Amino acid sequence: MTMLGRRERALGRRAFSECVLLSAAALVTQTWTRRAKGFGQEGGFNPRLLGTSGTPPLDPERESGLSRWAWELVRRTSAPAQLITEHIAVDDPKLENEPFAVWAGSHAVKPLLGTERRALRRFLDLGGVLFVDDGDPGRGEFGQSARAELARVLPEVPIAVLPEQHVIYKSYYLVERPVGRVLGPTSMEAMVRGRQVQVLFSSHDLLGALAHGSGETFSLPMEGENEAEMRQRAIRLAVNIAMYVLCSDYKDDQVHAEELMRRRGRAHSR
Amino acid sequence: MNATSLALSDDLSQIGTIVAFSLVVVSLGLLLAELRRKGKPFRAAFIWGTLATLAFAGAVFRPVHVTAKQSSLGPRVVVLVDESRRMRMRDQKGTRSDAARQAVEDLSRHFTDARLTVLGFGDGEPRPYVPERLATDRESDLLSALGALARAPGERPQSVVVVSDGRLTRPLETEPGGQIQQWASNLQIPIHTVGLVRSAPKDASLRQVRAAGAAVAHQPLRISVEVGCEGLDCSQIPVKIRELLLGEQPVVLAAGVVNAENGIGRAELEVTLDRAGSRVLEVSIEPPSGDTIAENDTRTLTFSVARERVRLLHLAGRPTYDVRALRNWLKSDESVDVVAFFILRGDFDDPGASESELALIRFPVDELFTQHLPSFDAVILQDIDAIKYKLEPHLVRLRDYVQKGGGLIMVGGPSSFAGGNYAGTPIDQVLPVEQPRQGKAFDSEEFVPAYTEAGRAAPVTRGLRTLLGNDLPLMAGTNLLGLPRSGAIVLLQHPELTVSGKPMPTLALGEAGDGRSIALGLDSTQRLAFGQLAASVQGRAYGALWDGLLGWLMRDPRYEAARVELEHECIAGEPLELVVHRLPGMAGDVDVSLEPLLPTRRTSLTQHLADNHSATLNATLPPQAAGGYAVRVSVGAAPPTRQDIACERGGSAWADSRPDNARLQAISSTSKGTFVDRDQIDQLPRTDSVKVTRERRTRPVLPAWIWALSASLLLGAHWIARRRGGLA
Repeated sequence: MTMLGRRERALGRRAFSECVLLSAAALVTQTWTRRAKGFGQEGGFNPRLLGTSGTPPLDPERESGLSRWAWELVRRTSAPAQLITEHIAVDDPKLENEPFAVWAGSHAVKPLLGTERRALRRFLDLGGVLFVDDGDPGRGEFGQSARAELARVLPEVPIAVLPEQHVIYKSYYLVERPVGRVLGPTSMEAMVRGRQVQVLFSSHDLLGALAHGSGETFSLPMEGENEAEMRQRAIRLAVNIAMYVLCSDYKDDQVHAEELMRRRGRAHSR
Repeated sequence: MNATSLALSDDLSQIGTIVAFSLVVVSLGLLLAELRRKGKPFRAAFIWGTLATLAFAGAVFRPVHVTAKQSSLGPRVVVLVDESRRMRMRDQKGTRSDAARQAVEDLSRHFTDARLTVLGFGDGEPRPYVPERLATDRESDLLSALGALARAPGERPQSVVVVSDGRLTRPLETEPGGQIQQWASNLQIPIHTVGLVRSAPKDASLRQVRAAGAAVAHQPLRISVEVGCEGLDCSQIPVKIRELLLGEQPVVLAAGVVNAENGIGRAELEVTLDRAGSRVLEVSIEPPSGDTIAENDTRTLTFSVARERVRLLHLAGRPTYDVRALRNWLKSDESVDVVAFFILRGDFDDPGASESELALIRFPVDELFTQHLPSFDAVILQDIDAIKYKLEPHLVRLRDYVQKGGGLIMVGGPSSFAGGNYAGTPIDQVLPVEQPRQGKAFDSEEFVPAYTEAGRAAPVTRGLRTLLGNDLPLMAGTNLLGLPRSGAIVLLQHPELTVSGKPMPTLALGEAGDGRSIALGLDSTQRLAFGQLAASVQGRAYGALWDGLLGWLMRDPRYEAARVELEHECIAGEPLELVVHRLPGMAGDVDVSLEPLLPTRRTSLTQHLADNHSATLNATLPPQAAGGYAVRVSVGAAPPTRQDIACERGGSAWADSRPDNARLQAISSTSKGTFVDRDQIDQLPRTDSVKVTRERRTRPVLPAWIWALSASLLLGAHWIARRRGGLA
């Protein structure tokens, strides 16, 4: 077992009791959060699940990955997050209330309605970030259809490969390549406007890697030989994406750049 | 004295005279021609004809005797006395103005017969010289005075006498003769000059202080200092430059030594000004012993410091959407250079990875606050706990940094203000609001903040109000803040929560020493970037709010209610005249206050100007002592504008105490005048008197009828003579 895998198991055991407590806390706060988020919780990371008229419902395992994403973020970083998954319809005006949403699925989506396209465009024009996660990258139906729809929403923005030096790979952890439930391609794709990634495409089933059942168990098995290490890498990628949403390109600042370059150099030499 | 002369009758026109005279000449010519042709027999006819023609001319011209009474009048001499402030320089015998008064008396005695007009010259047109009047003009512009004389209607003077020490503003030191030439040729009179000072006083002075290029914050600025020295040991003259700050001891920015053994020496000193806006620098020398004029040993000057980029330190206690919104806005502005440190991992967070696997660096709090703090224009503290993240030991430095001109914004959050352990710390002294020391630190009820009267008037919020009117989005709670401090301005307040019976502030601005600070007790201003209200204006409201806040903090004129400038150079002991330009749309009464920059002189004065709806107002404040001052101008309820100004004892007029008799000599020689020292006034050439006719009487030489009768008789005699001579 690698160092990374042992650390992951230890983290999981310690986390078990915390997870139970957090779940209880989440239940208590559920009614409260529906009413108002309150001072200090307003700006927490909130991976809202985007729904469109033509998107098949996300399976419950992957939907649970959203709260696990928030929980992992709270546990590993100083960032606050909303532990209760919020569903948001693409044409709901509340989509514009926060800068982040997740569009996930395993099946092809039907074309967006005109109102939905316009609403999504407004959200992105305000500076919102959309994470698109394909739950079945082997078939790739969701990913391809979502790309086609987003190309219609932002026709002037090409979908391009995110370079490996991008700040998303160093916004909290030093991540060498994207990993989800499946190893998938060595890079992610994105639609970048200005300096900001506005739409991030994952063909790695990231929510599948985060999907959890009761206690410390994860619902879906990882594809690969070293499951624990791979899941840890997937969680790190998820944390990095959340940090990118919260801090944008903070880790590209000059004060960080030199030190991070040095660390990457050391890691490669090992 | 009577004078007698002959003249023609007054009632003849000039043309008539010419015609008649021409006829007489032609007639005589014809007679002469006839005489030459006819010879001797015609002589009698010629004589009678000539007499008849002359008699006829007499009848036409009717000559008169003129008797005139004349008197001799003294020449008009104009004396121009230098009335610039420089004339108040004193030597052992008194001031140069005293010498000028004595010279005017001597001139009056010397030009006893002349009609003397004594005028004072200085800033522009000359005016009647009043010996008792204090010389206050900033310039000594001789060319303007001569121009006014040339343009004046009426009698031209026969000569001009200039009384001065020669250190004139115009004509310039270089080629004064050339510049005086055109005035001399216009006037066509000699310009005599009287030099008031024969030799330079024993004096070391700051002749000139000049910056090489524009002053830009954080960038070295070379200041060239020229020191003049006469009659003293001038080999080692220390010079230093200090910055005057409100409520703080002056800070020495640069020092050096000047060798002025040859009468003049220069030093190039480099200073770095960290704050933009009007900054007051004091340049001074330590004069050698025996220096007789202390007023020109120090220059206090205002430098307008521009800012190439705003350099900000953004510290956030945790990453949130509010932090994201602020960072994105700061990074989107090319004129902002932001250094950010966000706490991404707290003591109890478990990343489950080794340090080398993390992209985290240590928060260099000690290094930031001990080494780099002055290099920032402003610090933004956003939801960061002072004790937990070890800021607390540096809060004294942060307070001093603000008081010396830095900017501070504290943005709300559970770990801001009292919730972040800032209450009761030195930061209290620079925040615009008090912080509660006990009880709850924040309130979680949603609310919509309300504009105060100042909030509706302030240019800071104009951009936001232009987009959203008086609407604001729902905010997710607020930090509990106390009353605004003295002088602070509350822009937004809570609609329900109160402090001591008054609405609780949620956004307040204030000045602290030389710096400014902002307290924003909200952690959800990102709702101006995201949300349905924000979407109605494409999210531009967030930028509009922060444009205003940062602009005000950095003293951007667009966010000030007014602009203030000196009407002219401020001189100690003379009334201080200010011009206040109101920003368009800023209405209300104007209050002008003046506060000395030095901490030892804290008395301030205020003047109230009623609103006259004019865009420009003038304020005259009582005379002040030399030094730097902060002028604050409040328009209506809007936050005050501050402008730092300098008042000097001698100013530029006293910078060079040497007389310039060579210039006076050049002026005189160009205009064919004479230069004399003040004790040689009796050597000035006197001008001839002018004769003036006071009474004129005329009497005909002969009555007109005698001329006419004589002409008829002589014409008859001429006719008879012609007949006898056989002429037709």
